[in-house]
This record gives sequence, C-alpha cells and structure tokens, in this order.
Amino acid sequence: MLLGCASALAGLLYLAVAGAVLGPCLLWPRTRPRAGAALSAGARRIAAVDRRRRTALFDDRFPLHHTPQDAQVVRYVAQRAYSGTVTAVTLALLAFGVVLAGVFAAAVVTGRVGAVELLWQFLLGGALLFLGVQGLRSLYALDARLARDTFGPSERELLRRRIDELATSRAAVVHAVDAERRRIERDLHDGLQQRLVALAMLLGRARRPGRTPEQADALLRQAHEESLAVLTELREVAWRVYPSALDGLGLREALGGVAERSPVPLRLSYAVPHTLPGPVETAAYFVVSEAVTNAAKHAAATTVTVELSVRAGVLGVSVRDDGSGGADPAGTGLSGLRGRVEALDGRLRVDSPAGGPTTVTAELPCA
Amino acid sequence: MRVIIAEDSTLLREGLVRLLAEEGHEVVAAFGDADGLPEAVDRHGPDAVVVDIRMPPTHTDEGLRAALAIRERRPETGVLVLSQHVERTYAAQLLAGGAEGIGYLLKDRVAQVEEFLDALERIRAGHAVIDPEVVRQLMGRTTRTDPLTRLTPRERDVLEVLAQGHTNAGISERLHLSLSAVEKHLNAVFDKLDLPRTTGHNRRILAVLRYLEA
Repeated sequence: MLLGCASALAGLLYLAVAGAVLGPCLLWPRTRPRAGAALSAGARRIAAVDRRRRTALFDDRFPLHHTPQDAQVVRYVAQRAYSGTVTAVTLALLAFGVVLAGVFAAAVVTGRVGAVELLWQFLLGGALLFLGVQGLRSLYALDARLARDTFGPSERELLRRRIDELATSRAAVVHAVDAERRRIERDLHDGLQQRLVALAMLLGRARRPGRTPEQADALLRQAHEESLAVLTELREVAWRVYPSALDGLGLREALGGVAERSPVPLRLSYAVPHTLPGPVETAAYFVVSEAVTNAAKHAAATTVTVELSVRAGVLGVSVRDDGSGGADPAGTGLSGLRGRVEALDGRLRVDSPAGGPTTVTAELPCA
Repeated sequence: MRVIIAEDSTLLREGLVRLLAEEGHEVVAAFGDADGLPEAVDRHGPDAVVVDIRMPPTHTDEGLRAALAIRERRPETGVLVLSQHVERTYAAQLLAGGAEGIGYLLKDRVAQVEEFLDALERIRAGHAVIDPEVVRQLMGRTTRTDPLTRLTPRERDVLEVLAQGHTNAGISERLHLSLSAVEKHLNAVFDKLDLPRTTGHNRRILAVLRYLEA
C-alpha cells in the first residue's frame, strides 16, 4: 500500500513537472505530437512499474499481449496519482488516529480521564476508524479496477469468462443432441414406419378372401415396389442420422453425397490441403447439410454455393444460397448447429435478410 | 358403414381408403390433419372416424383432441384412434368420458387387415376396443395394490379379451370356453373389481377402464 502511495506520488510529481515543461509544447500545434509522445513514454514507464507492483503484491495476472493506448496510460497515471494521494492521506489519518488512541490509552491507565469522556472518545474514535477502513477498501477496489481497465482483464477474470462460455456451450450441446434425437424419431416414424405399415396393408389386402388372382397379383406387385421404396427410405434415414462416408472416405466425399442428394444445384469448392480432426469434419458436414436442406426446403433457392478453406489453422465453411432469405437463427436446426460449432470453440454466423440471399458461415479451429 | 379418415401420411391414408372401399364401406372424407375434422363430422354424420394421434402442426396429440371434440358433439359416432406407441395416458383420456364405441389401437395394427376391420365393426357396435399390446403391457406391470392381482390367470385372460372389445361369444371362441364359463369368469372379474351388477356395455367398459387406471 505504501509502495502504491509512493508510485502514485511519483506519478503525480512526474505529471506536474512534465505538464509544466511540456504544457506549452502541447498547446503549440506543431510540437504537439512529439510532446505528447514524450509525455506518454514517461507515463508508460511509471505504469509499467505499477503493473509489476500489482502483479507482485496483488497477484493480478494481466494478459501478456495487451498494450494500452497512450491516452489510456496517461489517464491511468493521472487517476492513480489521485487515488494514491487520497490513499496516502487516509493512511496518515489512520496513523494519526492510532497515535491519539495510544496517548488516550495512557491517560486512561494513569486515571486522568473520566468514564463519560472515555465513552465519548471511544465512540468518536470508532466512527473515524470505520470511515478510514471503509475509505481504504473503496480505494483498493478502485485501484484494482483502474489496473484492469488499463492492463487488460486479469487471468482470473479471463478464466471466469471462459467458464461461462463453456457452461453455455455445454448446455447448447445437450440441447442440440436432444433436438437431433427428436428429428431422428420423427424421421423413423413419418418415413419408415408409415411405409412399412402401408406395405403390410398391401400384403394383407392381397390375402383377403374373395380376391381374384388378377387383383391379388396387382396388389403383390405394388407391395414389391413399396418394399423397394422402404429400402431406399431406410438408407436415406440412416444417412441423415450419420453419414458413414465421413468415417471411411472423409469430409470431401461426404459433401459430394450432399451435392448428389441436394434438390437444388450445388457448387462445391473444397480447398482443404490436409485432413482435419474428426469432430471438425463432422461439424462442418452438418453445417453444410443443414444449410443446404434449409435452402431447398424453406428458401426456394435455385443454386447453392458451398466453400471450404483453411486459413491460419481455422476451417472456414460458407454456404450461400440465392433464396428468399428470412432464416431464423434461433430456429431448432440453426441453433442446434450453433451449439455444435461453439462446442468446438468455433463461431457460426447466419446472414439472411428478407428477400435473400442467405449466407451461413462457420469458423472451426482445427487445433 | 360411412367412415371419415384423418391421417397425415398420404401413403397410409390412400391405403386405408382403398381397404375400406374393398370391404364395401364408404369413405365420405379423408384429411391430412385434424383441422377440418369436427366440421366434416357435423356435415356427413359418419358411423365411424379413424384418426391418427400425431398429426401436423405439432405432431403430438392433435388427433386425440379432435377425437374428444367429435365425441362431445356427436357421441353416437364411433371413434378409432391410431397411436404410434402405447400411451396409457392418451388411452385413459380417450375413454374417460364414456367409452362406448371408442377404440385405441397401435398404428401397426392397421397392417393386420382382419383385426383392424374387426375392431372397426366392434366400435360401431358400441364396444370399447383397446389394442392387445396395451393390454399386454398393463398385465405386465401389475403391482401388489392392484385389484388386478386378485384375478386368477383365467380371469385375466377373459378380461384381456374383453378389453379388446369382444362379446361373450367372441371371448368363448378365442379362449375355447363355453359361454356359461365365460359368464361365470366375467362375473367373478366384475365382483373382484368392485363393479356394479348392471347389464349392458357399461359394466364391461368400466372393467376396461378400471384396468387402464390400475
């Protein structure tokens, strides 16, 4: 604390002296930039000392690569000069109070003070002590805030933010998994089960008593066709649950499958030089397939452009369609995708003005 | 009979229409959702309505709510509800407001053409028809406090077939019992379930309900 006061007083002196010396130059337009630079260079040195002081004594861990701007540093030194001076005054008052208390205690011991006066002094001293302590606490908090604003958030602050982020993304992942399961269940019921029931009905009708051979034959033929449709449906459902090509043949092949299945023409540009981690590939695949499905189903698009590229260790995925736009980023499909992407520390953006075009972009770190 | 169908899968709806037509029934209307259903029932006054529980927009219980609405407006209409899974709550809700001429079948039952057509006939005759699978599941999870535990195995069999909406004659045929034996067992069942000794469908349906609530 005393160190803090010392550095603040140093800052105060520096600002006073530098201000007096450089003041005229600061006002003169031609010399202003250089004078400003000189002023802030000194301020920076003082601030650096102060930063070390905070790290050593208050256990603040500041981010390494955070460089504050000149104006910020000068402002910091000025504010610290003020708060440090007030701290010094408060400390002096407290010290003065302690001396007084000592004198008074001696007087009590020697019996030169009456009970009434003792009570009064006690109350008065207590109130002043309280004010002093309270003032120090506020000053302590003020200093911590000033340091955080200037040198960047402390490591603890960063950790807290990260934990918040993780909690949010974890909840989103659970949510996304549930949404996926619901979709699969719907897929099985509305597609496969209905088809199988219809198939069994055809066979049941063919076997009803009183059928002519021709009728039975026609029904059997329909049943056979239906059973082939069931097989196709099953393959489609399984693929929507998880494209097995991702495991065997990789992302590019799986996206080729999306292009083949897409009801709208799809242009794919795939500029990924090396293989990607499995979770990244899966996430990228689902971003593309969901966005393409949406473009075809809701936006009535006529073409979709899909681009994948890696820049600085981050896979960029963009899906652009020329449809009617107006996609809702909070809808189940897109929020599920967001959960999936954020779980990998990625970012998903949906840009879909009414009238189109819609662009869905995802950035996925490949580390 | 004159029938209205509400089923969202086009494929299944068409299949049902054909099947019923082949059997000589008349399908007066067929819908892909529950919206126009009550109004169509008012207009056509069908003998029976076949309705899927899960339909657009939310795919939860649209069909069930439509079925209850129909029963309220025209209680004489037979209603057969098709469900994806055994949902005891739905079945109980459906039968709570009087169960005469109400059926709750698993959707897959439609594939067993004879059984389905049979169930439709029994519903029209005023019986309550519960899917054998529902009955089996209920029998499988009886607890100690359950009145059903007081039944002998034979009495259970009788109740099970009764719950599927069969007449005494139907029960005797299925379980290879004489008619008098069926009556004896049934009376024992009604007594053990504390049901009044009245006659008619009412008591039979109460037995089925007791059974669903167990």
